[in-house]
Amino acid sequence: MHYMNRPEIRERRPDPGPSEGEGQDLALLLAYVARGDHKAFEVVYGELAGPVYGMVKQILRDPAQSEEVAQEVLLEVWRTASRFDPAKGSPAAWALTMAHRRAVDRVRSENASSRREQKVAGEDIIEGDSVAELVEASLDRQRVNRCLDSLTELQRESIKLAYYGGYSYPEVSQLLSIPLGTVKTRIRDGLIRMRDCMGVNW
Amino acid sequence: MKVAREDLHVLTGSYVLDALTSSEREDFERHLHHCPSCQAEVRGLRETAARLAMAKSSRPPARMESAVLAATYRTRQLPPLPGERAARNLQRVRSSRLFSGPERVRASRLFAGLRGTGRRESGLRLPAPRSNAQRSNSRRWTQMPRLAGAVAVASVAAAVGLGITQISTQHQLDTVQASNAAITRVVQAPDARIEKKATADGTVTVVFSSQRDAAVITTSKLTSLPSGRVYQLWVMSSAGARSAGLVSQPDQASQVLAAGVRSGDKIGMTVEPAGGTSTPTTAPVLVMPLAT
Repeated sequence: MHYMNRPEIRERRPDPGPSEGEGQDLALLLAYVARGDHKAFEVVYGELAGPVYGMVKQILRDPAQSEEVAQEVLLEVWRTASRFDPAKGSPAAWALTMAHRRAVDRVRSENASSRREQKVAGEDIIEGDSVAELVEASLDRQRVNRCLDSLTELQRESIKLAYYGGYSYPEVSQLLSIPLGTVKTRIRDGLIRMRDCMGVNW
Repeated sequence: MKVAREDLHVLTGSYVLDALTSSEREDFERHLHHCPSCQAEVRGLRETAARLAMAKSSRPPARMESAVLAATYRTRQLPPLPGERAARNLQRVRSSRLFSGPERVRASRLFAGLRGTGRRESGLRLPAPRSNAQRSNSRRWTQMPRLAGAVAVASVAAAVGLGITQISTQHQLDTVQASNAAITRVVQAPDARIEKKATADGTVTVVFSSQRDAAVITTSKLTSLPSGRVYQLWVMSSAGARSAGLVSQPDQASQVLAAGVRSGDKIGMTVEPAGGTSTPTTAPVLVMPLAT
């Protein structure tokens, strides 16, 4: 409830409607989406499509497959907007949890995994992004990388393989030649360190 | 029994990263239902994972948007879960997170509700005090921007003290018409460093790459000036100040590419007569030292 004390929060005011530009909040927009508001969904799409597509592509690599899965996830945002609970996390975490889960499910079905291996992990080339978006993404990257650097090597490698690689922890254990139990603790300890390093405070 | 539960608790991280096998995932989810401390940890780690994902954000093909938007017209939505959750949510969202300052960075909206985030890099806002004494890492992290802010303030004072007017006149006003490709090369250079500074006059972000000898200066939401006045950007080095260009649209995001920038240089911004000048004629409203 300490939000109430923050000076930038203005008085509650009547329903502003979803088209009111600045100060819109994604969580609020999702409440409109839940009521079938297509305009609100367009804004939500604009905010989430890049992160969702990027996450999925990071794991699947194949652009066509990634597009397909990202589409499913974004449509799922539309379909399940009424189930979004702001007390449980941010809209981004909610959507990206779905994105990661779906990408991983796709990878773990045999079909996709054999296809994936043929793809070379190339550097992402960001095309057509506005400079502001590029700068924003670079800021995120820079911060994440700085925090990743603060982890031990095992923590860092375990997290990268599991999250960015979409590997299960038994697979991570094999890839890094460390015991299963160690992987579990390294992933948890590393994530907790990342959380504290990035000042995430949920 | 106790051992087994502790075992399960260790799985929070792997659960959040979808690294559990499907049977373990089910076991853990059952456990999660009656383990409030696990729920709290899962929440925090999910937000953390989302940050990892944001760092990989990538623009999808344009056709995807029309495909998804079209599909929404053919897709029935789920009703809220029993209870008044949706209504309550809306209420809660409204009373807490809605009308925050318009200067909030776009991506921060994605994490509405995060406190003490690294986005406070502007150095102007102090992070909320941490309740948890263990979070020393995080404290160290948030101190850096504060120092940067202090340095920048000191530099403004120094620049003013030195007297900008004595800076050499040999440099022609050359506004670099930066192509997007050139800007992208700088922003994506492996050694690119980013400094961001938000002041009462607006926000300035500088991406500097020593390898490319260049900096991309992005300004946004600058205070509007009386007609006949413009914001001019400068590369300031020991040799003097050289124009990096004029801010074309003060009220919107606008970019300038400055070439021949070296570490140790500073980026400055002054208010000048329309058309700009070859040397600064007023004290800078902002000076940003470049990361070395």
